[in-house]
Amino acid sequence: MGDEPLTPDLVRQIAALLGPESVASEEGFSVDGVIPQTVARPADRQGIGELLRWASANGVTVFPLGGGVLTSLGNLPSRVTVALDLSSLNRVMDYQPADLTVTTEAGITLDSLRRELSQGDKYVPLEAPLPHRATVGGILATGFSGPLRFSYGPPRDWIIGISVVGTDGVETKAGGRVVKNVTGYDLGKLYTGSLGTLGVIVEASFKLAPVPDSWAGVTAGFPSIGAAVTASRALVSQVYAPLGLQTVTPGVAGRLGLDIPVGAKAVVLGFVAGRPRAVARRLEDSARLLGELGASLVDTWDESAALALLTRLTDLPWNDADPPELVMKVTLAPGSVAGLLGVLAGNEDGGGDWELVADPGFGAVQLLRWESVSGNGVDASGIMADIDKVRRAAASLRGFAVVEACPPCVKAGIDVWEGAAAAGELEIMRRIKRNFDPAGILNPGRFIGGL
Amino acid sequence: MQQSPFIRGLMEIVGEEYVICHPEDLLVYEYDGSVDRSMPRAVALPDDADQVSRILALAYRSGVPVAGRGSGTGLSGGALAAPGGIQISFTRMNRVLEVDTENRTATIEPGVINLDLDTHVRRFGMRYAPDPSSQKACSLGGNIAENAGGPHCLAYGSTTNHVLGMEVCLEDGTQVYLGGPAREAPGYDLRGVFVGSEGTFGIATKITVRLLPLPETVKTFMGVFPDIDSACSGVSAVIGHGIVPAALEMIDALSIRAVQNVTDAGYPHDAGAVLLIELEGLWEEVDEVSREVESALWETGASDVRVAEKDSERERLWLGRKTAFGAFGTIAPNYYLVDGVVPRTRLSQVLRKVSEVSEKYGIIIANVFHAGDGNLHPCMLFDEREPGVKQRAMAGAAELMEYCVEMGGSLSGEHGIGLEKKQFMPLLYSEEDLDRMKLVRDAFAPANRLNPGKIFPDGEEYVPALQRTPTQVDTGWYV
Repeated sequence: MGDEPLTPDLVRQIAALLGPESVASEEGFSVDGVIPQTVARPADRQGIGELLRWASANGVTVFPLGGGVLTSLGNLPSRVTVALDLSSLNRVMDYQPADLTVTTEAGITLDSLRRELSQGDKYVPLEAPLPHRATVGGILATGFSGPLRFSYGPPRDWIIGISVVGTDGVETKAGGRVVKNVTGYDLGKLYTGSLGTLGVIVEASFKLAPVPDSWAGVTAGFPSIGAAVTASRALVSQVYAPLGLQTVTPGVAGRLGLDIPVGAKAVVLGFVAGRPRAVARRLEDSARLLGELGASLVDTWDESAALALLTRLTDLPWNDADPPELVMKVTLAPGSVAGLLGVLAGNEDGGGDWELVADPGFGAVQLLRWESVSGNGVDASGIMADIDKVRRAAASLRGFAVVEACPPCVKAGIDVWEGAAAAGELEIMRRIKRNFDPAGILNPGRFIGGL
Repeated sequence: MQQSPFIRGLMEIVGEEYVICHPEDLLVYEYDGSVDRSMPRAVALPDDADQVSRILALAYRSGVPVAGRGSGTGLSGGALAAPGGIQISFTRMNRVLEVDTENRTATIEPGVINLDLDTHVRRFGMRYAPDPSSQKACSLGGNIAENAGGPHCLAYGSTTNHVLGMEVCLEDGTQVYLGGPAREAPGYDLRGVFVGSEGTFGIATKITVRLLPLPETVKTFMGVFPDIDSACSGVSAVIGHGIVPAALEMIDALSIRAVQNVTDAGYPHDAGAVLLIELEGLWEEVDEVSREVESALWETGASDVRVAEKDSERERLWLGRKTAFGAFGTIAPNYYLVDGVVPRTRLSQVLRKVSEVSEKYGIIIANVFHAGDGNLHPCMLFDEREPGVKQRAMAGAAELMEYCVEMGGSLSGEHGIGLEKKQFMPLLYSEEDLDRMKLVRDAFAPANRLNPGKIFPDGEEYVPALQRTPTQVDTGWYV
């Protein structure tokens, strides 16, 4: 796995299989920083099937690629033989605004899908950083959820059907195009978040929501992270709770272009959407409550400003201009977010110097660090020690910690998923992987438990 | 009385009084809510997860298949024992273990009744959203096996959207925990694929579910329509406006009559169909959307639109909806319920097909269903003592399922495939599709000892007890 001898005529073989125009040179492509030996861009699903069948028979490893936005997720690939570029699968197959459903190919970008859906006044509540590049297939494979996950939930809550090309080259489906369905096993959920290790997602169906009439936002500065999280927890249990609520540290707030009130150690960002009167009420009541709970400065944002802020926040960990060196994500019970931050802040010698994007409504905390690279290069052992502290803090609260991005020299020495699944669960995952990908050709070694 | 070593083994695990193995006692376990029957060899009633694990280990060693059984209200044969198999009944494991108000979760045993959980958590200002019509009787373990729905799943999703974590026993008795305390967990979503696996992957022994806060405002409408067609236009108008109510149900004329036979739900006796529409949310939202819903109903031909704002009025409207299936007993002693789903814009077409089928096969069909998400429940009413009628009903149901698939829909929205729909799976899925699904089952239950013969069309046949040959009967029964 990953060590198969590279046949010198790999390119020629793929060209023979898919046609010469389907083999690209590797420029512009990388899988977690590793340049692929070749890039295959099959014109259609049949081509994907042929490629996978050939790869399985020959033990050639294949790395499916969407927009390449989140390829840092997963363990470092030892070598990328074939990167599978899915950008040619970019059609919306069936959009039924009156049924609130859409079926789309997986290579379409989130921006393109949103544009097409807006023609019928509908909206798919998927989120992604860099949505002009991020694809539907990539969002599903990574199970990405964004700042509105408190209300929208992760993508698993919106997918209703899926088509996947397996390592045997056969395209199979599960689910369908109706919003409620228990016909057969719910493989859509299994593939969502499986990081391309079980098959190549080529098509998916989603239920839709109406386009919100209006959007708005609220921000509030707090004298401490603890006070901000406490206020957020109070707000999410109100009937007027925003769609999504994040608590960020000043370093993040600054990068988002927010004015940080003097003395503020944390900023709460809330986003609301819906009918104008309800938006007004949510905004007003949220701002009032945050003020009552100790916010030093409460600002409200109109639609375009709020949406721009939301985009910056979603993009932040994955932006190209100023990417953080290190990104971790902890998922845990929402009530434990304060506990986690307390443990980290208590560790003056390292754990406390993370920048944070915490979601106390949903139960997720993103930990970011920009300053780990000094003039002297990367302090790999220091970073590993800090990662370990976060993991221990998460585990003590029954949470899971995953390293979502880090310098290659650090990554080479760690399992980014370490401790993120118990042994019993891992054994079932191993069996599933073995059954779906017996030759171990899809994204080998990158996923949890070395799958 | 002498028992076979296997039965004695069960008795050692749960105690003699908690193993049911006399044929006359087993009769009630031969059924669920569907038309299929299968007599279990024995039923064990464990008190905790450890006993469940030991029962499974014993059955595994003995080569005996196992089915979990909650309340037996399922509509697809999910709880029926495989030939020669046993059932594990969860009626004793019915404790609410924890309500976590801070995280809005509840941890429960699988035998807890759906409505009991909901009632229990309402005192904390929360609710458990999935509300199958059988919620007074059905268990949460069963809800998980079938990925149960209910009227309010329109806005809040089915069971799968509300399960966070589960302690599960696998076929050989191994215990694993799937999921976690949060809505997201790294790795394959085993919890997601387990929910709705109809008891073929494992048996949940402890379940943590998400609770939702109670809404600020609830408003329930009854739209009265002269006929089914105009009621369908009402549904399309509401959904097409981009309104997703908390619930949107349709009740046809026959069902209205049946309901009004047993309780006064306030449905007008001369209506062709009524729509029940519930809106929830902030006062401002409900107020604004109410007006749009009302005008959509009037515009599509409603003869009357009534609003229930008081809890008592609302409960009365819902009582009628939720007692409908019981009320069909006033029309005929047996029913067979179809659970097809279609795109919502195809509802009127499919309902026209339902009346064609009713005429063609000479079967009375009542319709009371989740119109908002296109989940039909044509209910074939018959008296099985009439020769040939059950076969006609089944043939009509088959034609309807085929039609739903033709319309871009699916075989089952919330009841599961089980035994009674498994032969229709090829309408929707290719052999390769089904083989891929089996790969997951083979990972959870490589020996296929849990609920074998269900879901997939090639599974073993279940034979009603009366038709069984003596060799299939445990000798322990008679000695």
